[in-house]
Amino acid sequence: MLLHTLNRSPLSPVLDQALAGMGPEDRLLLIEDGVLGALPAQQARYASVAGRVYALHEDLASRGLLGLCDPTVRVVDIEGFVALTEECERTVSWY
Amino acid sequence: MQDETRHGDLLVILRHAPHGSSWLKEGLDVALVAAAFDRRVTLLFMGEGITALLEGQQAGPLGQKGTAPTLAMLEMYDIDSLLVEKRGMESLGLSDEQFMLPVQGVDADRIAELLASHALVLNF
Amino acid sequence: MRYAILLLDAPYTSQAVHSALRFTRALLAKGHVVDGVFFYHDGVHNAARLAAPPQDEPHLVDAWAELAREHAVPLQVCIAAALRRGLLDEQEAARHGKQGCSVEPPFELTGLGQLVDLGLRCDRLITFGP
Repeated sequence: MLLHTLNRSPLSPVLDQALAGMGPEDRLLLIEDGVLGALPAQQARYASVAGRVYALHEDLASRGLLGLCDPTVRVVDIEGFVALTEECERTVSWY
Repeated sequence: MQDETRHGDLLVILRHAPHGSSWLKEGLDVALVAAAFDRRVTLLFMGEGITALLEGQQAGPLGQKGTAPTLAMLEMYDIDSLLVEKRGMESLGLSDEQFMLPVQGVDADRIAELLASHALVLNF
Repeated sequence: MRYAILLLDAPYTSQAVHSALRFTRALLAKGHVVDGVFFYHDGVHNAARLAAPPQDEPHLVDAWAELAREHAVPLQVCIAAALRRGLLDEQEAARHGKQGCSVEPPFELTGLGQLVDLGLRCDRLITFGP
């Protein structure tokens, strides 16, 4: 199981690259501008990895998005980010 | 010392076109150094990075070398595992007959496998 | 666990440096070992000795140096990427006949082989790009 981090918004083609790289168990952590992908209106873009999408709390908070997240996106803090990298065998970053 | 259960030591993903930025060059440099240290290296060209393989590239007007000369050296470094994302080739309307090196096309559903089977993945 | 960090963007350009710093600090706080932070591509600008941000902004260059001092984290800067971008330590400045230097310890100029070594030696390598 790999962790993929993504710092681009759902409007970026980099999201498609990240999704192409994700295996059936892999997890996706949205950081920086990637957290725009936590908005409910964008969830169709992440349908293939639904239930395996995480978003970084502090990047949501700084952008005023904390209360606007889709309930299926799991919000993690920086310790949660560290924990994800521990649990996953490797981390691949998409930017 | 090599773990034979793995596809290779290092997978370098190249997602940027030549000349427009230094991403491609600096990604290739990592691949060459790793190969020089006897690591098995696989290159995966995705998206715009696929255009790095085109025949007929030239130096820029200020003498910028671009990356075609580096690609031509890959064989010397024993880097012969050159993979190209088929979907990206289709979206750019390119075929491997237009490429300067022999490559292997990769279906979208095999990319995740590739990432999982290398000890180290570097994304450029 | 043993971690390595690869940082690919310059300070005050994207959020990548902030993310890398936050993450590295969190690793150390949790008791992990950080075997090295490798600066490559525009990330080499993190080693710019002369960076002088306004006082009400985080000093990112100093933040890395502090991390190195307090936790013995090696700060490794790709020498080829650095020289091209005008980032030279004392030795390289002398070699190239330049007055003054733009990189000082704890940042060290090193080869790309170090990145490959770090990546394969550590349990985890985490990349932060622009």
